[in-house]
Amino acid sequence: MQPARVRAVRLHGRSAVALALVSGLGLLAFSWPLFVQPGSGLAHRADAPWLFVVLLPLLLAVVLAEIGDGGMDAKAVALLGVLAAVGAALRPLGGGVAGFEPVFFLLVLAGRVLGRGFGFVLGSVTLFASALLTAGVGPWLPFQMLAAGWVGFFAGCLPRAAGWREVTMLSAYGGVAGLLYGLLLNLWLWPYAIGLDTGLSFVAGDPLTENLPRFVAFTLSTSLGFDIPRALLTAALVAVTARPVLLALRRTARRAVFDAQPRFEASRPS
Amino acid sequence: MSLRSGMTAALPRHLHPGAWWLWALGLATAASRTANPLLLALVLAVAGFVVMSRRTDSPWARAYGFYLKLGLLVIVIRVVFGAVFGAPLPGTVLAHLPEVGLPEWAAGVRLGGDVTVEMVMAAGYDGLQLATLLACIGAANALANPKRLLRAMPGALYEVGVAVVVALSFSPQLVTAVSRIRAARRLRGRPDRGLRGLRGVAMPVLQDALERSVELAAAMDSRGFGRDGSAPASTRRVSGVLTLTGLLGAAAGSYGLLDATSPALLGLPLLAVGCLLAVLGLVVGGRTASRSRYRPDPWAAAEWITAASGVAAAVAMIVTAVTDDSGLFPSTSPLVVPPLPLVPLVGVLIALLPAWLSPVAPAARTGAVRRDPAPERIEETV
Amino acid sequence: MIRFEGVSVRYDDSAAPVLSGVDLHIPEGELCLVVGRTGSGKSTLLRTVNGLVPHFTGGTLSGRVTVAGRDTREHPPRELADVVGFVGQDPASGFVTDVVEEELAYGMESLGVAPDVMRRRVEETLDVLGMAAVRDRPLASLSAGQQQRVAIGSVLAAHPRVLVLDEPTSALDPQAAEEVLALLQRLVHDLGLTVLLAEHRLERVVQYADRVVLVPGGGRPLVVGRPQDVMATSPVAPPVVELGRLAGWSPLPLSIRDARRQSGSLRDRLAVDVRPAARPTSGPLIADVRRLVVRYGDVVALRSVDVQVRAGEVVALMGRNGAGKSTLLTSLVGMTGASAGTVRVCGDDPHGLRPRDLVRRAGLVPQEAADLLYADTVARECDQADRDAGAPAGTTAGLLARIAPGIGGTVHPRDLSEGQRLALALAVVLAGSPPLVLLDEPTRGLDYPAKRDLAAILAELAASGHAIVLATHDVELAATVATRTVVLAEGEIVSDGPTGEVVTSSPAFAPQVAKVLSPGPWLTVDDVALALRPAG
Repeated sequence: MQPARVRAVRLHGRSAVALALVSGLGLLAFSWPLFVQPGSGLAHRADAPWLFVVLLPLLLAVVLAEIGDGGMDAKAVALLGVLAAVGAALRPLGGGVAGFEPVFFLLVLAGRVLGRGFGFVLGSVTLFASALLTAGVGPWLPFQMLAAGWVGFFAGCLPRAAGWREVTMLSAYGGVAGLLYGLLLNLWLWPYAIGLDTGLSFVAGDPLTENLPRFVAFTLSTSLGFDIPRALLTAALVAVTARPVLLALRRTARRAVFDAQPRFEASRPS
Repeated sequence: MSLRSGMTAALPRHLHPGAWWLWALGLATAASRTANPLLLALVLAVAGFVVMSRRTDSPWARAYGFYLKLGLLVIVIRVVFGAVFGAPLPGTVLAHLPEVGLPEWAAGVRLGGDVTVEMVMAAGYDGLQLATLLACIGAANALANPKRLLRAMPGALYEVGVAVVVALSFSPQLVTAVSRIRAARRLRGRPDRGLRGLRGVAMPVLQDALERSVELAAAMDSRGFGRDGSAPASTRRVSGVLTLTGLLGAAAGSYGLLDATSPALLGLPLLAVGCLLAVLGLVVGGRTASRSRYRPDPWAAAEWITAASGVAAAVAMIVTAVTDDSGLFPSTSPLVVPPLPLVPLVGVLIALLPAWLSPVAPAARTGAVRRDPAPERIEETV
Repeated sequence: MIRFEGVSVRYDDSAAPVLSGVDLHIPEGELCLVVGRTGSGKSTLLRTVNGLVPHFTGGTLSGRVTVAGRDTREHPPRELADVVGFVGQDPASGFVTDVVEEELAYGMESLGVAPDVMRRRVEETLDVLGMAAVRDRPLASLSAGQQQRVAIGSVLAAHPRVLVLDEPTSALDPQAAEEVLALLQRLVHDLGLTVLLAEHRLERVVQYADRVVLVPGGGRPLVVGRPQDVMATSPVAPPVVELGRLAGWSPLPLSIRDARRQSGSLRDRLAVDVRPAARPTSGPLIADVRRLVVRYGDVVALRSVDVQVRAGEVVALMGRNGAGKSTLLTSLVGMTGASAGTVRVCGDDPHGLRPRDLVRRAGLVPQEAADLLYADTVARECDQADRDAGAPAGTTAGLLARIAPGIGGTVHPRDLSEGQRLALALAVVLAGSPPLVLLDEPTRGLDYPAKRDLAAILAELAASGHAIVLATHDVELAATVATRTVVLAEGEIVSDGPTGEVVTSSPAFAPQVAKVLSPGPWLTVDDVALALRPAG
C-alpha cells in the first residue's frame, strides 16, 4: 500500500524561506562555540551565550507566525493541539531533560504521515505546551522547540517506503534523530554547564579540530551515557509502535480529508 | 512602607504575566552581571520573598522550589568540573587528584592535579550565578499564569496559540481517557499493568484523541476559526517583505558577529536592525487579522511598577558594571571577603517592591465541583 | 431563512448520493425536527446548512443551499459563523478552551467582535443559559447537560439567526434533556431563532416541533410536513405515536396529553388484563450484594445496598446521575472495591479475581462501548476476544453474527454505527459466556429500531440463562425488557420490585404508554397490541 502523502500544514514560498533562514540561524545559535573566531564580536564577551537566548524566541515566533499565516486550517490546528497534548503527556514519562524522550516516536510518526510542515510545528508546539504544563518555560525552551521541530520536519522528508522497510527506516531515523537532538542540546548547554575556563570549555578561535574534541570530552563525561541508550530506546519505541500508530494517523488523515476538494454542480433534475 | 497606603488600593486580580516575566528577567539580567555571592544571594532572597508573598496555590506555583534544587545541582556540577578539569589556580591545596594523561586528540584537556580552595570557590561563584539565573526563571514560572501568558501572545501567532490552547485543555481529558480505558481492559480479561498493558491502553487513547480532533476541527470551523477578515493583500505583502528582509539581516549580522574580519557594523547593529524588521513584520501581519480578545489582562500601574522594579535592578547592576565593576567580581585568587557595593544593593532591593505593590491574585474558587456527588464515570481504583 | 434548491450530495468515497433532489424551505422562527434512521443522511443534511458539507468533508454538492441569503457555495463554514450556529453531537469534543466563560467568548473572538460588546454578550448568554453561577468553572467539571448548554451558548453568543443541532439530547439523561429542550424552546419563542435539529429521542422533542423532515435514507426524497402528518408513516416514531397508530386515532397524538384525551375508549377495551402473569424467576443466584458500602474519599457512592440477581432475570437500575448506578455495576465486576459489605458473583469476590477469571463470571459493556475495542478490524477484534476468553476460535464472530448480522469483518470498529459498535462490544463480552452480563447506558445514541433489536437480544440472553443488569435512564427500554427494576437515590435503594409495579407507581419512571393508559398496567405498545388481538 502506498498511501498518498498528506500535507496537513502547507509551507508556501514565504514560510519555506523563513523556515530555512531561521533554521540556519538556529544552527548557528547551537554551534557558535565551535566556530567563533578570536577577535570577533562574540569571542570577547562572557555574555555572548545570552545573545542567542534573546534572539531565538524572536526568530521562532517569526517562523511560526509565517507558517501559521495561511498555512494552517482548523483541521491542522485541532490535530496539532490534540497530538501536542498526547506528546506533552508522554514527556514526563521520560523523566525530563536528561532522561529518555518518549515523545520522539510521536514526532517521527506524525511527521511521516502528516508532512514536514506539520512535523515542524508539532515538534515546537509539543515542547511549548509541555513547558507550560510543567512550569518549564525558560531560555532553553526555544532551543528545544527548534530542535524538536527539526526532528518532525526531517521525518516528513524521508523517502517513500512501505511495509517493513518503512518501519526500519523510521526506527533508524528515530534513533539518529534522538541522538542528534541530545547532542545539539548538549552543545547549547556546553558554555553554561561548565563555564568558560575549564579544560573542557570551548576556546574562542581554536580550530574546529580542537574545540570539537573538547565538546566530545564534555559530552562523554556528562551525558553520552544517557544519550546512546536513549537513542536506542527511541528507535525501539518507533519500531514497536510504528505499525498501529501509522495506521491510526493515516486513518485520521483520511477522515479529516486534509485536501478536501469541495465541488459544486448545478442542480440536476432528479 | 509609606507607598503602601496609596498604591495597594488595587483589588485582587491577576497581574499581567508579562509584567512578572519582565520583572524576573530584570533580576536575571542583574544576576548575570555579577559573580558576587552576596549580591547573588540577595537576588535569590528577593525573588524568593516576592514568590512567597504573591504566588497562588496553583500547581505551577511550586516551580520556585524545583528551580532552587536544580540550581543546587548546577553548583555541584560546576564545582566538580572546576575541580577536575579547571585551570589550575595557586593557593591552599584542598586535595590532590591523580593526574591523567589524555590522548593526543584531547591535548588541551587537563585532568586531575591539585585542587585548591581558590579553584573551588571560583567555580562555586560561577555556579551560584547560574543557579540564581535559574531561580529567577523559576520565580517567573511560579508567578505567571501560563494560560494568561498564552492569551498575551502576539496576534500573529494566533494559529499556533490556539493549537497550544487546545493542547492545554485537552490534556486533562487525556488523563480521564487513560483511566477509563485502563479500567475497560480488565473487562477484556487482559492485564492492565506492565508494558503490554501500557501499549494496550495507549492505542485506544490515541485513537480516541485523533477522532476527537476531527470533530473539534469541524466545531472550530463552524465557529469562525480562520476567518480571513478583510486583510488587504498589500498589507500582507508588506509584512512578508519586512519579515524576510529582517531575517536576512539577522542572518548576516550573526555571521558578522562570529567572523573577526568583517567590519563591526556588520555585527550587532545589523543583527539588531534585522530583528527589529522581523518583529515589525510580525506586528504588521498580526494587525491584519480581524480578531478580538475577550477580557484581556490590563496593563495598569501595578504592571508598570512590577516591570520597572525588575528593570531597575538590572540597570543598577549594569551601571555599576560600566563604572566600577570591582565589587561585582570579587577576587577568588587571592580569596577575599566579597564587598557589598551600595548601588547594586539598592537596585536589587527595589525589585522587592512587587511583594507589596502588586495586586494579590484572587482566591481560586473551588474548581472541580460536580453537580452530582459521586463519580459517574468508571473510576480506576484498583 | 434556510432554502434548499435541488440539493444532492455525494461523497468522494461512494458512488451513491447520500441526499438527492432536496427542495426545502424553512421559514424564520421555526423549530424544524429532522428524523430518520442512523445513517440515513440526517447529519449530512444538517451539515450542508453551514457549508461543512462539502467545504470541510469534501464531496460534491449539486444544487444550492442558501441561509439568510448567503449561498454556501461561496461561503465556507467560517464565513457563515455569524449566521449559523452549529452544535455537534458530542459537546465536549467541540470545546476549544477549558473554562465556561472563555468558551462562550471564543467564537466571538474569531469573529472579531469588539471587546465591550463581547463582554456584554457573554453576560447575556450566561443569563439565557442560566449558568452565571458556574461561569469560571472548568468545562470538564460540568454535567453532560450543562456541557451541552455551554456548547449551545458558545454559538449563541455570536448572535446567529439559525441554530443547527445534531442530536443534542441523545446522550443526556431525562433531566439534562429537559434543561436543554427548555433552553431551545426559549430561544425559538423569545428570540425568534430558527432551529433545525436532528434527534433520535422523539418522545422528548416531537411535540415542540413546528415541522418534521423525515430523511428516509438511500437518497430517497424527503418527507416534509406537520409533525402529525409525517409521524403517521414514519419508520421512527415515539411510543405515544405508535399507540395512536395502533388505536387509529386522528389526529395522531404527539404528547401524552393529546393521547390521554383520545384514549377513553381504548382504556375501556383494555379493562381486562390478559397478559400472562409475571412469574417469579427462580434460577440460581448469580450476583449477591449484601450491605455494600462504596466510598470515594469522603463521598459515599453506595450506602448499605442489598441486591440479589438470579439467572434469567433482567434488572434495570434506574435513578438520576450520581445515584450510584455505575458504581454498583463497577463493583459487580470488581473495578471498585467495597468499603464495607460483600459482593459475590457466582460465589467469588470479583474484586479479588484475576482479569482472566473475571471474564468467565461477569462482563460489563461500558458507556463508551468503544473502550472495549482495540483492534483495527472487526475480524481481529473477534479473534482477540476468543483468545482473551479462552473460547474456541469463531465464538465471538458467531455471537456477533447472531446479534447483529451483516457486519463486515474488515470494517474498523470505530467506523461502525453506535448500534453495531454496541453489538460488537456485547459479543466480545459474551465470548467468555459470563453468567452475569452488565450494561451501562446501552441505549445512548440508538434509534428506535436499534433499541428494539437490543431489547430482543437481551430477552433472548435472559431466556438462555444469563442474569442481566442494565443501568439506564431509558424508561422505555426498562419497560420493554426488564423483569425487575431497582431505583437508586443517593446511594440507597428506594424501590425494588417487578418493573410493572415500580414504573407505574412513579411518573418519573413511567413509560409513555403507561402514562396514557394509567391506571392500567400496560407498559409498551406491544403489550397493548397483544391485548387487543383476541378482542378484535
